Amino acid sequence: MINTLARIDQLASSGTTAWHRASAISKLLLATTIITLAIASRSIALLGSLYAFAWLLVITSRLPARLVVAAASYPLLFSALFVLGSWDQTWQTPVRLLLRPLTASLTAVWLVGTTPYPDLFAPISRVLPRSVGDGLFLTYRGLFELMASAERLWRALRLRGGTQGSPRRRLNLAGESLGSLVLFGFERSQRQYAAMLLRGHSGRICGCRHWAEWTREDAWVALAGAGVAAASLLLWRKA
Amino acid sequence: MSHLHIPDGVLPPLLWAGGLLLALILLVLSGRGEGTASELPRGGPAQSIATRGALGGVVLAAMALELPLGPIEYHLSLVGPVGVLIGPAAAFQLVFVVSAILALAGHGGFTVVGLNALVLGAGAAVARPLYRRLIPRLKPAPALALSTAVSQGLSGVLWMLVMVIALRSLSHGGADPRVVGMPRMAVLTALALPLWILGIAVESAVAFGLARFLARVRPDLLPAPVHPGPV
Repeated sequence: MINTLARIDQLASSGTTAWHRASAISKLLLATTIITLAIASRSIALLGSLYAFAWLLVITSRLPARLVVAAASYPLLFSALFVLGSWDQTWQTPVRLLLRPLTASLTAVWLVGTTPYPDLFAPISRVLPRSVGDGLFLTYRGLFELMASAERLWRALRLRGGTQGSPRRRLNLAGESLGSLVLFGFERSQRQYAAMLLRGHSGRICGCRHWAEWTREDAWVALAGAGVAAASLLLWRKA
Repeated sequence: MSHLHIPDGVLPPLLWAGGLLLALILLVLSGRGEGTASELPRGGPAQSIATRGALGGVVLAAMALELPLGPIEYHLSLVGPVGVLIGPAAAFQLVFVVSAILALAGHGGFTVVGLNALVLGAGAAVARPLYRRLIPRLKPAPALALSTAVSQGLSGVLWMLVMVIALRSLSHGGADPRVVGMPRMAVLTALALPLWILGIAVESAVAFGLARFLARVRPDLLPAPVHPGPV
């Protein structure tokens, strides 16, 4: 999961397609529209169109196929559980229950794969309480370092025989390892707080680089939005 | 198992929208109590947010690690320990942020972020008050293990409740009510009950080790009892 996130994060910052250059706010609006339509629509024709459209977005953003397939197929297992749980002897219900999450996850992959996290979190943090918005930034910023520490700890635990013995012993040792990770997190937060004060922390972490700066590439996002709007007008009532 | 992992578009809108709305209201309320309700070790709100950010990273890292337990691999949630360490309001904000980042990674849909936060947050909310009542009578390790067991148990019950409501609402939309509904609830219960018990056991055992380590190395990070006994 974290490896997927790390790869997506790197691609979002280093990509050079028109989608990468478009503003975060326009992409966020387009993604929200597509996901909302996918969740709300009962028309299989529209759901199919939105799914195809999401693939078009992903392919043109030049994200690696393996990564896209891995991220986009993740909801399949859980959707399948719901398909089995609500089987009504028609083909429409399972198709709907599969197309909705697949469209949403593909669109999400496109959004996070083309938008660096400070630009993506900045508009989201504007609608959340200040402490939550700031927490979003700080959690994400520290995530990869903590993840690397956790992996080193786990490796050390395995090498020193911490994964052998009774389950109780193994779990207690895992807990002690996580205790050291918690401690590392606390100490890291104190250093981070000191750095925030030194840099003149004003009481709000501002991810305000250029998430709302409109660019020429936003015309592509607007065109895509027009396509989605046209499809929904034409296909909303179709079966 | 207390993290929902439900993708977008399968839950009824009333359920996920209601969950999201309630979560946002609770976030606003917990944000207002910043500095008073939040019971972080020390420092002002900025320090609290930095600590919460670091702990959020720890939770995500713990969720990504796989604990091999025979034929299955268990992913921790650390709901109980987080609730004990930072208190209900801060823990609720933390689990909301964690759920949002997981949704961005494709683990669970965007629409279930609110429900995830409520399910995990409810568990985290009971952990600290319970720990503070237990600590005059028990050592930190068993007190944290017991608080975690209750916290994980509550989250698991709420998870089951959401799943039952979701499956029932999907069943009502079906063509033939005889082919859906209660038999599947029984299957769900049969599958989820052993996982629920396993989750409680695993999280409690891990919390035991975690508290034993912290009590030895940094006891000041663990909360004090409600009514401290005579010295």
